[in-house]
Formats: sequence, structure tokens, C-alpha cells
Amino acid sequence: MPDNSSSTPSGFDRRAFMAGAAGSALVPITARAAAPDPPAPAVQDPSAPVDVTLNVNGKERRLRIDARTTVLDALREHMGLTGSKKGCDHGQCGACTVLIGDRRVVSCLTLALAAEGQEITTIEGLATDDRLHPMQQAFVDNDAFQCGYCTPGQIMSAIACVKEGHAASEADIREYMSGNICRCAAYPNIVAAVKQAAPEILKG
Amino acid sequence: MTAAAPEPKANMGKPLSRYDAVSKVTGRATYASDMPLANPAYAFLVTSAIAKGRVDGFDLDDARAVRGVIDIVTHENAPKLKESKLFSNGGYAGTTIQPLKSPDIAHDGQIIAVVIAESYEAAREAANRVKVRYTIAAPSATFDSPGTTTAAAKGQNAQFKEDPKVGDFAGAFEAAEIQLTASYDTPTQHHNPMELFTTSCAWIGDDLVIYEPSQYVYGLKNGVAEQLGIDAGKVRVVNPYVGGGFGSRGSMTPRTAIIAGIARRLNRPVKLVATRDQGFTITTYRAETRHEIKLGASRDGRLVALRHEGAELSSRADAYCVGGTKTTTRLYACPNVDSLVSIVRADRNTPGFMRSPPEVPYLFALESAMDELAVKLNMDPVELRRVNDTTNEPIGGKPYTSRSLMACFDEAAKAFGWAQRSPQPKSMAEGDWLIGYGCAATCYPTQMGPAAARVRLQRDGRTRVEIAGHEIGTGAYTVIAQTAAERLGVPLEKVAVFMGDSDLPPAPVAGGSNSTASTCSAVMMVCDQIRQRLFKAVMPDSLTDKAKETVGIGQAPTTQAAKSDRPLDLEKAFDTLGVGVVEEYGEWKPEGAPLDSFRAMHSGHVRLVGGHQMKDKIAYAFGAEFVEVRVNRFTHEIRCPRLVGAFAAGRIMNPRTARSQLMGGLIWGMSSALLEATEIDERNARYVNDNLADYLVPVNADVAGVEVILLSEQDDHINPAGAKGLGELANVGTNAAICNALYHATGQRIRKLPVRLENIEV
Repeated sequence: MPDNSSSTPSGFDRRAFMAGAAGSALVPITARAAAPDPPAPAVQDPSAPVDVTLNVNGKERRLRIDARTTVLDALREHMGLTGSKKGCDHGQCGACTVLIGDRRVVSCLTLALAAEGQEITTIEGLATDDRLHPMQQAFVDNDAFQCGYCTPGQIMSAIACVKEGHAASEADIREYMSGNICRCAAYPNIVAAVKQAAPEILKG
Repeated sequence: MTAAAPEPKANMGKPLSRYDAVSKVTGRATYASDMPLANPAYAFLVTSAIAKGRVDGFDLDDARAVRGVIDIVTHENAPKLKESKLFSNGGYAGTTIQPLKSPDIAHDGQIIAVVIAESYEAAREAANRVKVRYTIAAPSATFDSPGTTTAAAKGQNAQFKEDPKVGDFAGAFEAAEIQLTASYDTPTQHHNPMELFTTSCAWIGDDLVIYEPSQYVYGLKNGVAEQLGIDAGKVRVVNPYVGGGFGSRGSMTPRTAIIAGIARRLNRPVKLVATRDQGFTITTYRAETRHEIKLGASRDGRLVALRHEGAELSSRADAYCVGGTKTTTRLYACPNVDSLVSIVRADRNTPGFMRSPPEVPYLFALESAMDELAVKLNMDPVELRRVNDTTNEPIGGKPYTSRSLMACFDEAAKAFGWAQRSPQPKSMAEGDWLIGYGCAATCYPTQMGPAAARVRLQRDGRTRVEIAGHEIGTGAYTVIAQTAAERLGVPLEKVAVFMGDSDLPPAPVAGGSNSTASTCSAVMMVCDQIRQRLFKAVMPDSLTDKAKETVGIGQAPTTQAAKSDRPLDLEKAFDTLGVGVVEEYGEWKPEGAPLDSFRAMHSGHVRLVGGHQMKDKIAYAFGAEFVEVRVNRFTHEIRCPRLVGAFAAGRIMNPRTARSQLMGGLIWGMSSALLEATEIDERNARYVNDNLADYLVPVNADVAGVEVILLSEQDDHINPAGAKGLGELANVGTNAAICNALYHATGQRIRKLPVRLENIEV
């Protein structure tokens, strides 16, 4: 494990990196409570590995990865959490959807560095040992998948959809679940699943 | 019960929840690129920016300077690979265009280099820094492009054996009271399964393990072995789950052997996750087609003459075609039939099968023309189908093993409310929306292939079923588990199914909707072998053989003679036999399968039989689809609020998984009419919209009411499972039904897909 005693968890200067990556379509870095950044190094090779600490499903994970690594690739290639799927790597399909805090986020367009210090929840973090999350159970009950590849993203998105208050009607569910493509086209069953799980999720 | 789990009717299994449901909702289902690898190197493809010409040279200095780059493989230093023939010519490949073999470029997006690096990020960056010098030749992009060549399919594609014809079409058409001639076009489409086209290769000594989403692990295993020049026993393909197939993963693509060769040279596992846009050119697709239909009919609607001419695009290298006239010439009674299929060659990647390959484009033409004929005859389109319904196909006169076409029409029409349709175009509206009702028939050949299975039964009833089938979202695990549980009489929760691994007993390609019929027939047969070895030995002699075959573990024998017997005690049976486990392996082949079936099954060659190719009969599944469209009279926006389909497909193994597949199919059908088209830059023969934002597939907001009606149907003439495939049934004909409904809504007949709002002229 890398020694992580520097005042930023990564020891990497985000501002310098973002400036270097100007023009790329990256999600904005959300503000977070942290110690003041140390002085920026004069030159930083963006391909040099960086130390990143991610909080995933309630556990801290320390990684040494390429600074350009997305949350999705960090999960899949560096943490063995392969439930989140890569379907386009462009934020177009939603298969990689995870929760960062309460927000649903396409993890393929979110740099791991940008997610440092925030709570990431993936499909692997939903079920307790003996019980599926109500949304997972609703997907089972309503056969809301076929090949299953988009399913983790659909479920993460569906949970956020309900919590956002966008599951009041079928039309709303259809609209607010349209960022997640299901090529098998299980859509009517996905709507039924979200409807079934919504009251239980809102109840808490 | 939820709507997802319809109440089973006669000859239907239980609507059980999917065997793999919990794995899929928890993220535990492992797809090919989820498989852990020890210290993998990452591959990133560089693909050609031109469609025709050659690579004159590379400038790789910039790319090599990227930290972590291990190697850059081009035609100058690529591993030497043997060629594989096209699958339809006895090989394994979906294309005979072999990248990295020479500097020649045969199509846009051809693989021209592979960058290998320590990380995905480094490989991607270096790939973007590869500079290529080309000599560019003018490519032919599509139909009507200069430089294309056209020739009859017969004679150049081994699988296209005949242009069906019967009687005297020309004379009958000439003499017909009513004549119709119309042309139809369907577009290029790409499967776009959600899982990307990934390949991971790891060598353990001389043995190769491949993790790749495949619809045919035996074909891929044997094909890669052939290309590498090694024994097929050294190659294992593993993919317990496949993130959608739709035909895109049925034949071998060039990438696999390339990655395997690189991994061998590096002596390190290599992982490739090709990008979404690369998937448009490194695999196959549904080619654009053109059709001319001629229908001659008497005034009462009976067809007297039918001609279907189709043209399909293919690559310069390969004569691929789908040849749907085999179906459209046999769907309706008609004494005088003619047909012709041609292949047009252009500078494109080789097309391949995509969900319902022949029927989607060819029934679009026929079922649109039938609607046009109904209009000419001033006849209800449902009644036109009824008048031309038949028990025997017209080309060879062979009887359909079962045919519930009109029952499907009647059930679907009732559920849809077809009787409320006012037949005149533009006669129904609500506010700013013109409303149209339309319908069409669907059918799909019932196909089966040789398959093998191994079943192990333990004394506690636990059962393990092994078969190299494929779970592409169809519910294969589920119906195989159900079949074994029912056949052996063990509880479902005690059955474990292992698939998606070429070390397991061979099963056919998961294509042509054959999987359920083939794999379940094999599993049934092997379960019966277990009965013969175990059950019969411990059953009382008083039981008839038939009773012994039907009794299950823990069940009371059902025959009169055995009423007083206690249920079979499995532990006692094992003790009597003196065995620990009972394991059986067996190979099943369908009636009429060729003599080399079992050999071909092991060597990864497809031997499907069925459809019109059966000896004294013809087997198809049928359905009828009704749609409502709404067209905004000002903006011309098109919506499709209702899709209703009724389907009959022999035994329905599981109404839940069947309904889901048919529902997805209806949505696919809507999509093929209103959304999907790969746009081609005709100057450069390149695909333009090669991503999921620009290649339109349905999203949740595009789909409103979808109703699937499963009809009870029993067919004892097809296979032991009694099942007709239905995975490719529902997305056929929907495109025609939608255009027929658009005609009803607007009075405008649209014969070219997809229909977008700019095509509406009201």
C-alpha cells in the first residue's frame, strides 16, 4: 500500500491536471472538504501513477492508478468490482451508473480522482447478506432484464429516480429512466419494477 | 402474479423466476470482460480511417513514447495467422477479410494496428498517437455507388441453394384481375448489444483460455485453434453470461486470434475492450436490402401470382446474404411463384446475421405489399390473410407441422380492438394527432441442431447439468434447469446448470432461435438415460415401462398398477445400485440431421435443420402483430403508443421468459421501423453515427403499451421438447405493421425504412 501521509489523499494536483486536460469532456469536480492544496508542482506528467483513496460501498480503498482512470475502470480493473458495466465509455448508455452520494453518475465519465472523498455506491453495495434491496427484488419479480448487462446501471439509476421524486407516474418513470439503454428492451418490465419498489424505498 | 409472469395455458411450463435472476441484479453475473486476469496487458485497436486503399507506413514514435507502452503490432510485425473460411463455406469466420496480414484496406474501420500497454489509459493514448500514411482509392459505399458489382446469390453463397419458384408466375400475373408492383428498402443496422466486443486471452503453457462474449463457444474455440495452427483441445472459450448477442457474436471475428497471438508472444494475458464505434466495423451488421414485390390476385383476394426479388449488400470478399425469399414464397397459398435474390458487392465490412436475418427485411416487403393489396381490393387486411391462409406451403406442397397464424390474428385483433378501426385513411384522429391502426403477420422457421449434455444426479437429489449453451438473455439457464427438474422429478432448486464454456458438451450456435429446442431436447434425452440406468433398476416389475419413464423422484407412480407403491426413495435406489452418483452423457440430433452431425457438432460447425428444409414437412412459428401509431399533424412527430402481438410457438417452456423475449422483440420491430439506421457517408464508405447517441435505439420513453399474448399450441412433429424458437419471432413484421398503420393514419404509403418525421408529408 502506498504511504498516504500527504495532505491530499492523492498527492496529485487536480487543478494542474484539469488544465492539462482542457477540452476533454470531464465532469466538474465537486467541492469537498479537504485540507488546503499544497503548492502545485511545476510540471506533472499526467501519465504518472497517482495514489487515490476511494470510498466504495462503505469501505476505503487505496489505489495507485493512472491519473486518467475513470471511476468505472477503477472499480472494474483495479478493485475487482465488475458489477458496474462498460457499454459505451461515453456516458451514452448508462450501464456504468453508480451513486456518488445520492446522485446517479455515469462512472465512465467521472475520473476516480474527482470522486475522492465521496461515497460511491455500486450494485455490489445494495444487498445485505440475506436480503436483496427492494429495487433488486422488484427487478427479479418483474423480470426487468434479459441479458442482464445493463441491469446494474438500471437498478442504480432506478433507486436514484425514486429518491429524486421522479417515480410518481409511469410517464415520469419512463422519462427519468431513459438515460439507461436496455438493448433487450425490457422497458415495460423495468417501469413495473420501479413502480413496485418506489413505495418501499420512499418509506426508507 | 405480476404481468411479467403470465398464467400458463395448455402446453406451457411454469412462469418461474429466472435461474440467474439474483446473479444479474446483484452484479455477480460475470461477463467475459469481468473475468479476473493475472497482470494483464491492455490492448487498444487502431482502425483505418479510409475504406479502400493501403497503408503506406506508420509513424509510431509519438505512440511509443507514451509511458507504459509495451508493443505496437501492425501488419509488419503481427503474429502469423492461418486463414479461416466463411462460416457458410465450412469455416468459422464472419469475414474472410484478415486484418494485419497485409497493408491492404478492404473497408472502413478495419483493424490496422494494436497497441499493447501496461494500462488501458496508456494503450488508448498511444493508439490516438499512431500516425498512418495511406494511399486512398475511391470506395464503393452502397447500392448505386459507382464500382459495385451485382450477381445472383445462387452459385456464390453455399447456403443459398435455390430461388424458390413454382407454376407460371409471368402468365398468371399478366392474367390477374388485380395487380400490384411495389418496391421497398431497408437500411443498414447494427446489433449494438450492450456488452462491448471484448476479448481476453490468457495462455497457460500451451493452453489458451479466451474470455469473449460469444454465441457459439465451440465455433470460436475451433476457429481460433485453426487460425493459430494448434489443436482445438488446447483452446477453451469461457463466457457464462453474454451481454446481448442478436447475431453479432455468432461467428468468429478477426480480433480474437490476433489478441491470442499477441498474448502468446508477450507471454502475458492480454485484455481488449474494443470501443463502441469500433464495434461497428470489426464485427458484422445487417446489410441494407432492396425489394420488388409483384402480387397478382383475384377480386376475392386470392393470390394467383407472387414474385419477390431481393438485393442485398455484401463485402467485396464475401458473398453473405440472408435470402428471405425462402420464407416469403411459402407464407401464403399461391400457385404461381417466382423469386430472385442478388448480392451487390461494395467496399464494406462483411455483413452477418442480425436478429431474424431474412425475415425482418423480407417480410417488411411482403407484409407491406399485402396491405397495399388489401387497400386495392377494398378488403380488411386480416381477411386478406385469412383468404390466403394455407396448411401446405406452395413451393413443395409440404404440410406445416402446425400453423396458428389466423388464430394469432383473431386473438390479437380482439385484444387490440381492431373492430373499432374505420378503414379509410386519415379517418381517425384525436386533437392534433392522426391515428393509424395497422397489422402484419410474423413467422420464423423452427430450427434445431445437434447438441450434447452431461447430467449428474446425486443421492440427495442434487443435479448438475452441463451443456455448452449460451445465456444471451433468452433464459437458457432457466428453461434448461426447468427441463431437467421436470424430467428427473427433482426440485428446481437442486438443479445447477453450467453453460458458456467450450470444455462442456457441445451445443449449437445460439442463433436461428434453435437453442431451447436443441438444448432442452438433449437434456431431456440424457435425463432419460439416467432413468433407464437408475430408475428402472429399482422400480417394481409390476410397473409398465411407460410408467417407469414418467415417474420422478419423490413422486408417487401415477399408473393404476403402481398406485399402492410408495414414492421412489432415491437414497435407497442408490444403495440398491451401489453407486455414489449417476452421471450420463448423451448426444442428440434432430430428425433429418445430416450424417456428419455429431462430428460437426464437436468441430464447431453448425448443422441446423428445420424450417422449409425438413423432408416431408415444414415447421414455422407464427404470430400476428397490431400497432397503433399517432402522427402529429403539425410537427409530424410519430409515436407508437400500442404494440399488441399474439404468438404460437409450440410448447412454451416458461411463459415469463417467453413473454419478455417477445416483448423485447416487438420493441425491436418498432425500432427497425422508426429508429434504427446506420448512416453511411457515400463518398468515403464510412459509418457516420457509430455510437449510441447517434445510432437510435429505443429508450424507455419510446415505449408505452406492449401486450404479448401467448397462444396454446401443441406440435409433436418438430422435436422432443415440442418447442419452436421464439427469440426472433416478434421483431418480424412489426416494421410492416407500423408502415401499414402510418398509411392508415396519413394516407401516405412509405416503403423505405426507417420512417422519420421528415418522411411524413401530410
